[in-house]
Amino acid sequence: MRSNSNSNASRSREKGKTRRALTEAAALLLAPQRAIPLVTKIASDKWRTTFESRHLYSYASTTIPTENALRLLIDWILNAQGRDGGVAAYYSLFTGYSDSYPEVTGYIIPTLYDYSTTTGDPVPRKAAERATQWLLSLQMPSGAFPAGLHAPTSDPQPSAFNTGQILQGLVRAHRETHNETEKAEILDRAQRAGTWLAQIQQPDGSWIGPAAYQGSAHTYYSMVSWALAQLAAESNDPRHAAAADRNIDWVLGQARPTGWIDGINLEGHPIYLHFIAYVIQGTLECGILRHREDAIQVAKRSAWVLLRKFETHKRLLGTYEPDFTRGQTFSCLTGNAQMSCVWLRLGEVTGDLRYLNAALKINEMLKESLRTKGPEGLSGGVAGSYPIWGAYQPMRFISWGSKFLADALMLEERLTREVERKFLTKLEASECAS
Amino acid sequence: MRVVILSSSPYSETGCAAAARLAELGFIPAGALTLPSWDRATLVRKLGQWGLRDSYRYAVAKLSPGKFATENQVRNPYLETMLKNKDREGIFRSLREVARHFEFPVATVSDQNSPRAVGQLNDWSPDVAIFTGGNILRDKLLKVPRLGILNSHLAPLPEIRGMSSPEWSLLRELPLSITIHFMDKGIDTGPILLRRQFRRAEECNSLVDLRNRMIAEGIDLIAEAVTGLDRGTIAAAPQADGEKDHQFFVMHDRLKTLAARRLKEGLKPVASGTNPSGGGNA
Repeated sequence: MRSNSNSNASRSREKGKTRRALTEAAALLLAPQRAIPLVTKIASDKWRTTFESRHLYSYASTTIPTENALRLLIDWILNAQGRDGGVAAYYSLFTGYSDSYPEVTGYIIPTLYDYSTTTGDPVPRKAAERATQWLLSLQMPSGAFPAGLHAPTSDPQPSAFNTGQILQGLVRAHRETHNETEKAEILDRAQRAGTWLAQIQQPDGSWIGPAAYQGSAHTYYSMVSWALAQLAAESNDPRHAAAADRNIDWVLGQARPTGWIDGINLEGHPIYLHFIAYVIQGTLECGILRHREDAIQVAKRSAWVLLRKFETHKRLLGTYEPDFTRGQTFSCLTGNAQMSCVWLRLGEVTGDLRYLNAALKINEMLKESLRTKGPEGLSGGVAGSYPIWGAYQPMRFISWGSKFLADALMLEERLTREVERKFLTKLEASECAS
Repeated sequence: MRVVILSSSPYSETGCAAAARLAELGFIPAGALTLPSWDRATLVRKLGQWGLRDSYRYAVAKLSPGKFATENQVRNPYLETMLKNKDREGIFRSLREVARHFEFPVATVSDQNSPRAVGQLNDWSPDVAIFTGGNILRDKLLKVPRLGILNSHLAPLPEIRGMSSPEWSLLRELPLSITIHFMDKGIDTGPILLRRQFRRAEECNSLVDLRNRMIAEGIDLIAEAVTGLDRGTIAAAPQADGEKDHQFFVMHDRLKTLAARRLKEGLKPVASGTNPSGGGNA
């Protein structure tokens, strides 16, 4: 039975690949002007991969200031937002923007608010408000949010992971909204989502069944427990806090002494850095919010293994096999940006500047990968893979890549300024003392 | 005491200075093992560290001495005394010149861990080898010298292992120090022979200046360690803190700016003994 279902799944994946190739080829025939950016991007990545040279003392550096890179990333997200308020999943070099993607639209909301708060620019805030309204219109009567790309005509299927990511956006929107009626409405909807998640959770803390991807439990759903912990902090509802703790307990049970955390469980896919970073980030952030030292330590152990790999080899692999033994050599750019966020937060929590140091360097590399000029969809976009034909989201610029890199750059700025301020205050104090 | 020098290039000033200093003390090397001058990795690394202009000037100074005054021939001015050829005017510009003067052989290998390198080192059967740069050394090579391979590490061990070590010492508010230790399979984890605080930091006007001075002082300490080993007056002690990960990596320029500020403005309190603790460990 198991082998039958495996071969069915494998056949359906092959069909999916063929369908995608045909769609992309047809799209290119219909819009031949896309051939130029496509060829240019392939040629430039080929050139860079051929001639780039890494050695023990090197790190990538860029002339793009962080402020400019951030502006480019946010503009990319704003351009990807549809009239309905939803943000596209990706811009394909073949087919252009995809349909809106509820999951990513959800966790892009905090990024947009953060950018507005940092820069005083009101436009991203407005975009976050529109995104929130769109998401509220998608909520199912159970409190769940639908899986996949937005397809108004199809029958929506509830998704635990997407509900968790949208919950992050709703919690933040609640905090940022000042109109009391709207604020109460958003909190109520967020609580319904959180309660649905708690209800369908397994006694061991995982999520399985029809609302889980491929029906099985995944440790990267620690991102869901992070959202539940955020909700619990906002609503003081102990049920949501307990659900977050239960899931983190389950995730910690999958951790190996090598730093590897089992249970990503994506059948038919390699273990992309994106998902590994999800596991670590969710565990760390949930650990911080729930004051769980055990979770922080587990996240720290995994993050340190990847930091050492990055510092030694000057890059992270696009995929890893269990215990980080080996993997595919392309770069999963969004995974790099997520790890940057993790290292920066660990730098903040532990005060160890080695985390900030690694994040500064990986951010340089990521900023360097941004295109500063060019048509909408390309300029400021974060590719799924470097080179662009790598296995993760090939030939696409993905909205969650822009989101995580923007998060990383804002965190970098905040933490670096904090470190500099503390350092200089200390210097001044010691000068006075002497 | 039979000594061998391991060098990253025939033109390495540190390698030349270490060989000349030891020879002056009577420890004429049994040989010097060097990577080739056109080693691609070294060239790329140096270009990255120094930039195109400085690398060009350095190459011209080493290869065409007639065109430049003596001071331009030494990149690290604190090595100049050690590099002076006492018998005639001028300085040693390469290991070959030092070797000619003190009459010891130089062998060039493409990789210090290669079977050829291990074979050559075996032929010289050294008591101790001095590492002044090159590859990360593997077990086969590490085992050849009777006592081991010495390295001068520009930071206190075990607190700061790895790279950008003086800069990390500054940021972690540890006293600037030089540690002479035997190398093992780990990065800067081998037994310690000497650990000494660097006391001239206040005279340094930049991080480069600091590093140059520490390199020169490190060679003096290597000489002291070899003398001590020869006389049997010093012994190595294993490093403590084996559990913790004290490895540091190349420092980003933004953090280097802070380290430079601390060097210029804030060293006094630490030099007089405050807060050597540093931050957390992963």
